[in-house]
Amino acid sequence: MTPSKTETVTLTIDGQEVTVPAGINVIEAARHIGLEISSFCYHPGLEVVAVCRQCLVSIEGSAKLVPGCQAQVSDGMVVQTADDRSTTARRQMLEFTLLNHPVDCPICDKAGECTLQELYFDHDNQGSRVDVPKVRKPKVVDLGPYVVLDAERCILCDRCVRVCDEVAGQHQLEFRNRGDHSELGTAPGARLDNPYSLNTVDVCPVGALTSKDYRFTMRAWELFTTPSICQGCATGCNIEVHHRSDRVWRIQPRVNLEVNEYWMCDEGRFTYHDLREKRLLAPLVDGLPGRWDAALSRAAAVLKNTAPDRTGVVLSAHQTNEANYLLARLAKDRLGVTRLYVGGRKPVPGRADDILMDADVTSNREGVLAITGPGVDGPAALETALAEGQLDALLVLGHELPLSPEAMETARSIDVVVIAEHELGVARIADVALPAAAWAEVDGTVTNRQGKVGRMHAAYPPLGQSLPAWEVIARLARACDATGFEKHEHARSVFEEMVAQIEPFAGARWGRSVRPMQLRFANSRG
Amino acid sequence: MAELKTLVLGRKEVQDLDDRAEELPAELMTVNMGPSHPAMHGTVRIVLTVDGERVVHGDIQPGYLHRCFEKESEYATYTQIFPYTDRLNYVSPMINNVGFAMAVEKLLDIVDEIPERAEYIRVIVSEISRITDHLTCVGASAMELGAFTPFLYLLKAREWLYRLLEELCGARLTVSYIRVGGVVQDLTDDFTARWKQIRADMLPVLDEVVGMLNNNRIFRGRMEGVGAMSAEDALAYGVTGPCLRACGVDYDIRKDHPYGKYGELEFDVPVGTRGDCLDRYLVRLIEIRQSIRMVDQCLERIEDGPVMIKDPRVAMPKKSEAYNTIEAMIRHFKHIVDGIRVPPGQAYAYVEGGNGELGFFVVSDGTGRPWKCYCRSPSFINLQSVHPLIQGGLISDIVPIFGMINMIGGECDK
Repeated sequence: MTPSKTETVTLTIDGQEVTVPAGINVIEAARHIGLEISSFCYHPGLEVVAVCRQCLVSIEGSAKLVPGCQAQVSDGMVVQTADDRSTTARRQMLEFTLLNHPVDCPICDKAGECTLQELYFDHDNQGSRVDVPKVRKPKVVDLGPYVVLDAERCILCDRCVRVCDEVAGQHQLEFRNRGDHSELGTAPGARLDNPYSLNTVDVCPVGALTSKDYRFTMRAWELFTTPSICQGCATGCNIEVHHRSDRVWRIQPRVNLEVNEYWMCDEGRFTYHDLREKRLLAPLVDGLPGRWDAALSRAAAVLKNTAPDRTGVVLSAHQTNEANYLLARLAKDRLGVTRLYVGGRKPVPGRADDILMDADVTSNREGVLAITGPGVDGPAALETALAEGQLDALLVLGHELPLSPEAMETARSIDVVVIAEHELGVARIADVALPAAAWAEVDGTVTNRQGKVGRMHAAYPPLGQSLPAWEVIARLARACDATGFEKHEHARSVFEEMVAQIEPFAGARWGRSVRPMQLRFANSRG
Repeated sequence: MAELKTLVLGRKEVQDLDDRAEELPAELMTVNMGPSHPAMHGTVRIVLTVDGERVVHGDIQPGYLHRCFEKESEYATYTQIFPYTDRLNYVSPMINNVGFAMAVEKLLDIVDEIPERAEYIRVIVSEISRITDHLTCVGASAMELGAFTPFLYLLKAREWLYRLLEELCGARLTVSYIRVGGVVQDLTDDFTARWKQIRADMLPVLDEVVGMLNNNRIFRGRMEGVGAMSAEDALAYGVTGPCLRACGVDYDIRKDHPYGKYGELEFDVPVGTRGDCLDRYLVRLIEIRQSIRMVDQCLERIEDGPVMIKDPRVAMPKKSEAYNTIEAMIRHFKHIVDGIRVPPGQAYAYVEGGNGELGFFVVSDGTGRPWKCYCRSPSFINLQSVHPLIQGGLISDIVPIFGMINMIGGECDK
């Protein structure tokens, strides 16, 4: 009989009674009382294999020690994790694991966030007793486009093999040989090239698997972490942005069981590269850098001198709800513009799978549609309007507006105001380009394909003279003499107004503000 | 204002003075002394309200150094805090090191496990530091009163001691020699011989300085009866150290709450009778000789042995092991990056610093860095007694009073 989810059992761990849902294992049960049982191979998102033997605990009535990851809880179970037998077992397993481990910490990318380091320091902390040479294995094995293996560091926990099998659904990694000659490698004829391959690097408890993108660039403990949302597609994977010195060094998934569980795709991890590309760092008027007030009054003049029915406003599916909400309000309620469009990269149908990746490569299409209401026009309608000469002015949020070359040419002849992070696409033909902060630099929310509103936090201050997009719009509104925008001093007040005004956002909460935290201390203090 | 003058100075009204004095301007004037002043110890500003040469009011404003010791400590591992403590009272850094180490050891519950030899070494370096502290205080104060020669003599002696400490730990002043669980390395082989030499050289210097200063009419004139404080006032202000003992209060943490090896040593605690600047000077002179006595005793009794606790949670592995075995490498790495993991709790440890009770109150949340690290710095607390001492005196009295309170900027602006 499989226990249902509502059933609970009561067991005793280290003398402490705890009631937990039936069907979970001892490691998870111990977490309920704040006790972390040491383990290498156990991962809550993967099948249990019990190969590392690091989680051995004594369970009353069982003659042998039992791996905590495999032992399901049962009523009346009495578990000891601090008795002599399990303490010795933990210590011996660590000594065994370290037997052939190379002295690599100073050059290892995992140092500082390494499970082996942590467990050794907490549970063993004894000197070496080895007087024979260590088994040597290849140090640089190219497994695939993004991952490199150092076979010596591998502790054979099998996590990466399971990630490929269970998350990506492709059997690409395998062990070969036996005993201390066991070595990880790709399956015959395979490469580690699935779109989720970098998750193997995340789950690797040691520095055996390293990301080619990140390795040797930055020491992990020097980085700061800020929670955010991946902007790569409509899935909206929850991520941690790891940054330092006003730039992002890598992106890692953040656990959200309702969205991305523990994982994210490789493509999403590389989205940070675009953050610094061709940034618009100062307001541009006719292609020349200028001051904010001059650029704003020029933009306001364009908007005020054009008839509302000949003005087009383009929202962006790549921008936060707050920016889109303010822009929609400015356009509809203050300027009286009726021609609203939504911009954003074209979908990539080939990219979609039923794991995490979505064909829609915009991060906030759901949110924009919630703000404008369904049936809003896309770039195609804008192209038609431009071709038919219906527009004299265009106010565009974001540079991602896939227009045909002819439409671009037509757009050159009318007044174009663009609020964008990068000097790319439509921002290059703008009469006035106002610099906006990139996604890693802003507080805000985006809505993913499930309709879940995800919160982004600012990792570092906006580069150059750029400002968060909502603030640019608020300033522009003031320059246009529109009222009702003065009160917004923080994205939060925009969000709260939006939640009160727009039905689909009802009940959404802003949540707690999180400041960047040094990874070195991230696990030690909340 | 006239009432205030009469009240504070107890002096006559202007019309009661003779003709010539009446012609002098009688308005109060506000003068800044400091924040950077040659006769000031560290950066401290005194806003003086003066009536001629008389001090009517003195507002003492520390805080110009922006040390942020306490806040910085919350972002450094326990071992990384030692260099910060060096810079508290920077003329006796060893004592600061010891005080902080003791607080962490109390939290780790390893107070009884510190090796014997390390305890002796801690006393030796602490007492040498106390000597350097007092030599500096006495020398600098004498210089500020115009006696330049004793300053040179005493600083020459201090330099010998600094050189001895430099041989021991590589730095004259930024020593960082003490560690949680012991000291960083053993005494040098010729430490005892070098100490004996320095001791023999130093004692005549002390005698010479005593000869030059103790019955020097200018020196006595400017020290005797100046800045006197009653024992009750001193206790009420929380004054500790030589300044408290000069007031006649027999309180020395080494004697009254012995820590380390102090309980086993033989030494006397000098006390003054009048609590004036001269008493503070004399107490310091005698304490130098008592410290020499303690160092002698320690060097006699010290035996070979380890200088660092064995516990791998606390002790760093040897470099040779760290470079050659993965176990020691990980341990080394964890010590450097994460710090010593100290169990949650709070502890206050206090030692007799150069200027009084130096205490560290550390709150741990179980991580490698303190959640809070408060420092009871004697300079800061002694400084609050200066305001009543200078009030009513002459501007020139501020110099010996300040010199003998011996406020150290790095410790005051913690």
